[in-house]
Amino acid sequence: MSVWLLAPLQASVALLLAPGLIGAIRWMKARLQNRRGSPVWQPYLELRKLFAKEVVVSSNASWLFHAAPFIVFGSTVTVTLLVPLLAVPLPFAGAGDLLVVVYLLLLGTFFLALAGLDPGSPFGGMGASREMTVAALAEPTMALAIFALAWGAGSTDLGQIASRILTIPSEALAPGHVLAFAAIFLVTLAETGRLPVDNPGTHLELTMIHEAMVLEYSGRYLALIEWAASLKLLVFFTLLANLFVPWGVAAALTPGALLWSVLTLALKLLALGGAVAVVETHIAKLRLFRVPELLSASFILALLAVTASFLLR
Amino acid sequence: MSPQLVSQLSVGGSTLVLLAGLMMLWRRGVNAHIGAFTAQSVALAATTAMVGWFTGDWQLWAVAVLLLLVKAVGIPILLKRMARRFGTERELEPYVNTATSLLLGGLLVLLAYVVTGPLVSVSQLPTRTGMPLAMGLVFVSLLVIISRKKALTQVLGFLMLENGIALLAVLGTHGIPIIVEIGVFLDVALGFMVMQVFVYQIHETFESIDVEQLNRLRE
Repeated sequence: MSVWLLAPLQASVALLLAPGLIGAIRWMKARLQNRRGSPVWQPYLELRKLFAKEVVVSSNASWLFHAAPFIVFGSTVTVTLLVPLLAVPLPFAGAGDLLVVVYLLLLGTFFLALAGLDPGSPFGGMGASREMTVAALAEPTMALAIFALAWGAGSTDLGQIASRILTIPSEALAPGHVLAFAAIFLVTLAETGRLPVDNPGTHLELTMIHEAMVLEYSGRYLALIEWAASLKLLVFFTLLANLFVPWGVAAALTPGALLWSVLTLALKLLALGGAVAVVETHIAKLRLFRVPELLSASFILALLAVTASFLLR
Repeated sequence: MSPQLVSQLSVGGSTLVLLAGLMMLWRRGVNAHIGAFTAQSVALAATTAMVGWFTGDWQLWAVAVLLLLVKAVGIPILLKRMARRFGTERELEPYVNTATSLLLGGLLVLLAYVVTGPLVSVSQLPTRTGMPLAMGLVFVSLLVIISRKKALTQVLGFLMLENGIALLAVLGTHGIPIIVEIGVFLDVALGFMVMQVFVYQIHETFESIDVEQLNRLRE
């Protein structure tokens, strides 16, 4: 199988799995809270419904409002080509490393915030300003945690970081790695709008962040944005799963190895989704003014990760 | 155990000890603080036991057991009793707010790294890699002592400072003679008692353990 077929395969696997991941988290959360919960495939049905609906756009909206969903969706799909989803080494490794991945995701966030401001509705502006606050606080943590990983591997290439752990398994439990994992997990919760930072389950007016930004969207635009949001969650989970626990990722491109890597990926995603569901069942949303405290704690974790991997040189 | 594994484990252990110290800066509740101190003492005892296993020195094992008994069981019980007596009032607004003090804590860890640089390069022991983190804990506990207002939190800061010094001794010298170690334990226990009496007195006089109140004169 050609290396170049891997890229479209990766993207389509990610696109197909992403809504299911959201559905699975919702289902597990419902079960943990003694509710029956909607079926796991519910997000797919929602996407189909939204794609069939008509788009209603405010008369105040500019071209930016129409362009943003495509930019958000496009940048997130591009990211799936650059992360070690199924196999290492990556075909597009030369085109982008860890830094490109992080900033492509931020590009989507940036345009979503712009689109929230564009129609001039008060909720959109509120959501956009909050989202930018969280993104600005989460970004240094992400950058530092990445340095910790890249320092150990001697490269910012995602494929190389994953394959280094595959060759030296004891590195997976090195203190720098464990701390970086914890830091990136907290950043994942903040960046993908999960519970201690944002509540994905409600449209409560005064607490929402992500929902406030996309309030003006409808129809296929909303479908694209929701799909991109679930894809973003999948990308962050994949980074957590395949950079820190890369076993199962195919090193050779045979159909058997690829099938095995899809299976292990699904299992790892389910495990992380279960962890998120448990966390979200246990804790309440933080007050907005205490979010910086959580994020500075994760920054400290990342800083310790860097010092720990530096100490062990 | 290979020296490489030992240095990895000592960095891991000291990181846990330091993280528990940073929890003091992050969380506000008294119970969370006591829990952080207990976890720190357990991590310290585990690191000491690990070094004891590596060197085959029975004295370090004895120190680890003593640590567990005194600092992970005894002192937390006394602390909980104190907290119950004063009611679990939340931490007052500290002199430095939470986010800033966490960032200061990070800077102090970096400072400790610079300060212990010469020590680490002189030492030959495989456990030397954890020393900057132990020194970082010493600095962080000093920050806790000067930036928090409640007497109970300051006492906890002092106990953490002692933990930091103990960790530094274990990692830097593979343990001091057990007789000295027992003396240190007695000192800590005595210091703790004196501070406890002191805190009770502050509470009796001012009906609060906010040390701000000590600035004012009273008859």
